[in-house]
Amino acid sequence: MNDVRPTICVVDDDASVREALGNLLESVGFDAQLFSSTEQFRRASNLDGPSCLLLDIRLPGANGLDFQESLQKAGISIPIIFITAHGNVPMASRALRAGAVEFLMKPFQKNELLGAIRQALERDRVQRTENAELIAIQSRFNQLTSRESEVLELVVSGLTNKEIASHLAISEVTTKMHRGQVMRKMNAASLADLVRMSDKVKAYSRKEKAQ
Amino acid sequence: MPALHTSSIAGAAPVPEKEGQNNSVRVRPLGGAGSYSIAIRYGTATLFSIAALFASLGIQHLFAFPYPFLFLFFGAVMVSAWIGGMGAGLLCVVLSTVFVDYFFVPPFYSWQVSATAETYFVSFVICALVASWISSAKKRSEQALQQTRDELEIKVSERTTALMQTQAELSRLSRALSMDELTASIAHEINQPLTAMVANGHACLEWLSAKPANLEKARQSTQSIIQNGTRAADVLARIRALFRKEPPAKQLLDLNHLIEELVDFLRHEAATRRISIRTDLARSLPWIKVDRVQLQQVLLNLIINAMDSMSAPKVPSKEIVIRSRKNGPDQVLVAVEDCGVGIKPEIAGKIFDPFFTTKSQGIGMGLSISRSIIESHKGRLWASANPCGGAIFEFTLPIGSQDSDE
Repeated sequence: MNDVRPTICVVDDDASVREALGNLLESVGFDAQLFSSTEQFRRASNLDGPSCLLLDIRLPGANGLDFQESLQKAGISIPIIFITAHGNVPMASRALRAGAVEFLMKPFQKNELLGAIRQALERDRVQRTENAELIAIQSRFNQLTSRESEVLELVVSGLTNKEIASHLAISEVTTKMHRGQVMRKMNAASLADLVRMSDKVKAYSRKEKAQ
Repeated sequence: MPALHTSSIAGAAPVPEKEGQNNSVRVRPLGGAGSYSIAIRYGTATLFSIAALFASLGIQHLFAFPYPFLFLFFGAVMVSAWIGGMGAGLLCVVLSTVFVDYFFVPPFYSWQVSATAETYFVSFVICALVASWISSAKKRSEQALQQTRDELEIKVSERTTALMQTQAELSRLSRALSMDELTASIAHEINQPLTAMVANGHACLEWLSAKPANLEKARQSTQSIIQNGTRAADVLARIRALFRKEPPAKQLLDLNHLIEELVDFLRHEAATRRISIRTDLARSLPWIKVDRVQLQQVLLNLIINAMDSMSAPKVPSKEIVIRSRKNGPDQVLVAVEDCGVGIKPEIAGKIFDPFFTTKSQGIGMGLSISRSIIESHKGRLWASANPCGGAIFEFTLPIGSQDSDE
């Protein structure tokens, strides 16, 4: 993942600020994508690689803070750094509570910006790794037969082979066989590993249902 | 007939304290029935009917009518009703009827009415009653009209005063609002080019320290810094132009008169806040050359501040005193004194700073602007403690004829 150059999206309606930020980001080796409005950003973004968003607060049409909310509702989890010329404490606290990485007051220094971007990209990386892992687990989970999923459920809820066998009305040998199959298919190194994967899948499907 | 309260209405308008300055509304005294006493009204009615009687008796032999000449009685009835109202008109009708019955209706010199003269006599009485009614009704409607007109005049002047106050408040509000918006927009307008300059500066350093250095990109970055610097300077020039829009228009004027005008103007506001304003103005104060609107603004700021400072629940006195006097050979001095909360020593040094305020709604420009106005007039504005606990704001202005400045 490190060989892909991270893309930094800049949304600011002021052309000179936008271009200056683009210039600075380019000079330190980032790919900068510049947008004059949030709509433009929504239309153009197909950000598969690592990325983060530099978002102005006072924008034509949508306010940056409202846009942050609408991104969250749409399930887009790109890390956001706010940049504003006239911020105040309520604005900053609202932005940070809603998960913004940083709230920078214009004009800001290079190190403040780069520090925030580094943090944002790290958050993005963690999110992407987790997502990728989740997708992998999910696809392995989907390969299990229905009997194997039943056994998995009972194993992670802490039952012994004997208890599972009597619960499913099958022999203990068959249970052991299913269990070995589950461990192999799920690529689990230990019982603890299996429990962790199962929890992740459950947490994700709970979150999906909530949205 | 209802009596009109003409005298009490004039007192309702604000009356300035100084004598001879009374520019309040005066209602013209009404003529007519309302202002005459009962004796005069009924006496006139009696007099007119007797006069009509003698006149009719005197000229009777000149006319060869089959009926007696009675038109003078109608005249008497109408005049009496006009002057004395319906009551006097009726009295005149009764007297005329009696006289006509006795002297003019056959048989003469008796109270009897002959059968032939009956119709004539009855129609005389009816005509007299109608004449009396018409005359008094006409008079009444005219009086009502007059009264309405006078009331209207009072209402108009009251409304004008109220409107002037509203306007003053509105202009204060809009000034405050625009200052607030102005500062936000200044911050934004200046910060944008600064942000671009800082970012481009850092980028320029990066391009220069790259191996090999990217001189073309560094050159572009520097170009952009220059552009944005120019843009920031343009913003500042625009703002300065905004504040300089109107050059002060100085004119020679009577400072006392200006103070009195403003005090009149604020009396209503003061009354609603239960504050009184007293003026102690030196006689024969020399006229000074100032910008009228700017000086009004200074005085308004100081008086409103004084009022605000006395809105606290426990102040020893709710009186603002405005004094004027000659201060040495070449200066006049104006002082605005209050017994409000006063100025705490720890903030005394800051009260004239821009954006310093102790009011929850204030933007902190009032005293700062006031001081710069007074200083632009080559005067001084300062504050001191009032022994009663409040504050005294004083300013001086030079007397004389420096026409050369600004």
